[in-house]
Amino acid sequence: MSLQTVTSLPASAPTRSKGTRFRLASASWALPAVLFLLMFLIAPLVANAFRSVTLGEAALHPLAYYEKLLLDSYYSGIFFTTFKVSLITTLCTLVLGYPVAYFMVRYAGRWNALILFCMIAPLLTSIIMRTFGWRVLLARRGLINVWLTDSGIVSRPLDIINDPLVVYIGLVHVMAPFMVLSITAVLQGVDVRLEESARVLGANRWRTFFHITLPLSLDGIATGCMLVFVITNGSFLTMLLLGGGKVQTLSLLIYQQFNLTQDVGFAAAMGNVLLISAMACVALQARFVRRRGVKA
Amino acid sequence: MVSVPLSLRGISKSFGTVQALKPLSLDVEAGEMIALLGPSGCGKTTTLRSIAGFEQPDTGAIYIGPHDVTELPPNLRNLGMVFQNYSLFPHMSVGENVAFGLKMRGIARADRESRARDLLKLVRLGDFADREIHQLSGGQQQRVALARALVTDPKILLLDEPLGALDKNLRESMQFELRAIQRRLGITSILVTHDQEEALTMSDRVAVMSAGEIVQIGAPAEVYEKPVNRFVADFLGTANIFSGSALAPEADGSWRVALAGTERVEARITTNKALVAGECVTFAVRPERLLIGPPDGPGLTARVRDVVYRGPFLTYELDAAGRTTPLFVYGQARTPVPVSSAVRLTWEPGCAVLLEAHP
Repeated sequence: MSLQTVTSLPASAPTRSKGTRFRLASASWALPAVLFLLMFLIAPLVANAFRSVTLGEAALHPLAYYEKLLLDSYYSGIFFTTFKVSLITTLCTLVLGYPVAYFMVRYAGRWNALILFCMIAPLLTSIIMRTFGWRVLLARRGLINVWLTDSGIVSRPLDIINDPLVVYIGLVHVMAPFMVLSITAVLQGVDVRLEESARVLGANRWRTFFHITLPLSLDGIATGCMLVFVITNGSFLTMLLLGGGKVQTLSLLIYQQFNLTQDVGFAAAMGNVLLISAMACVALQARFVRRRGVKA
Repeated sequence: MVSVPLSLRGISKSFGTVQALKPLSLDVEAGEMIALLGPSGCGKTTTLRSIAGFEQPDTGAIYIGPHDVTELPPNLRNLGMVFQNYSLFPHMSVGENVAFGLKMRGIARADRESRARDLLKLVRLGDFADREIHQLSGGQQQRVALARALVTDPKILLLDEPLGALDKNLRESMQFELRAIQRRLGITSILVTHDQEEALTMSDRVAVMSAGEIVQIGAPAEVYEKPVNRFVADFLGTANIFSGSALAPEADGSWRVALAGTERVEARITTNKALVAGECVTFAVRPERLLIGPPDGPGLTARVRDVVYRGPFLTYELDAAGRTTPLFVYGQARTPVPVSSAVRLTWEPGCAVLLEAHP
């Protein structure tokens, strides 16, 4: 609402005459940024796309890598795992993140800033540090195993660190702030009085949540889910460092193709597939939010 | 519909160290509309939110009819409430908004749709059921909020600054319309407002609140004409405050008073308090009760400082003898008295009301 009023404000007649002389921003000012993006984003992407149809096996048959990716059952299995991992991570962060976001917006009051800080502060450390933290906790001679054996609960250290579950734990840990922040941003715009209106009209807390709060925060949920899904799709460090390499995803495979087998053409093809799936997600999210945005 | 009374029995509420509500008791008769009037922070909203069930009073009890609802959550109190910003659900159509309360009560779709249409007709929005909320004007949204609040046949209607967001003309016409609907349905209602005109226009009784307690409660005319203290006199409209000393009682119960100031002017004030001759008194006269007379007549000597044209009437600002604060008088627009003319001020008997007396 406020956004609409702000965007409708400019272009009033009196400021226009002044605007030509003391213009704060004009299209040409965007030129350095556009050039930068062209050189360091668009050009590499185009080069990458080119590589995927010319290098290695693709030299003979341009679409060889793409056919391999889509038709070979090993690689389609990796596709499936990739989306499964992203989907489960997304759902877990949603289920864990929504209550946190709701609490922050509705009940935290002056503690909100502190919670927000605790939420964002880990983002300042590298993802490798955060993921290694889990290794310290969960390794064979890690903190948890030491506690468990010392207290006599288990006789031999558990092999937690190589369990695929740890990958999910690590991913949820890294992704949770994105979900929470996306949802709080939208929940903050949901007027408490709407919930109170529903209460007076006979809705108990749960029905108020499902009929009012949840539908009105769908934009935040959609944004958070797409964000987490896309980022998880593209992340490989967690899979590399946790789970003992048992969770094979596309991004991890790209990393391996590039670094170990040095099959650059195949890595490029996989990168492009990942990029297209990410763009599809973002397009879907934009469409969803726009449609709902018009209604609200 | 059967109207039920509402009774607040000694409810109080503190937020941290701030006492928002001192123990407050209020009996609202069945079918009556009471306005809670006061400046922000006087406790009127806390009172309303306690009745709604959003705040749990620290002490006391709330009765709707014979039932103690103090412990009940808002959804089980069977209330209707209209909020200042209407609080319509933006993701639902007008019809869905109005039918929401019925849906929560498990009423079948066909029944609730026809009932919602009836209510929309009541607020003169018969054809609007399929519209989206954002397509409505402020006044229309206000009506939808009213229809939504009334659709479940609530026992009590709570109005939280219901017209605060409307412009002046619309606000005035909505005051009459809301009042008419409330009378027709005979629903016991609480109106929270800081607008004295709205309170006087719409309610059967006005409860003026200050610092967490009801200072005065009575019919609009009584509260306006006979304010019990300076706060009420000032908060409801404009009041000219005079001070003086009590001289002697009259046969009709009024008192003769010598006005404080340089010259000796006698006035008569009404009071139901027992005064003692020689006591210092403070009393109020409404601007429309002061009369401007010729300078050679009786009354308080004054000089016109300013005249403001207000449409239906004129507002005179006058400097009177022995006063530091100006007096305000409403006069006929047809016969203006020019600025800086010397005049004399009088008032009809019974128009000066005692506010405070002390030895």
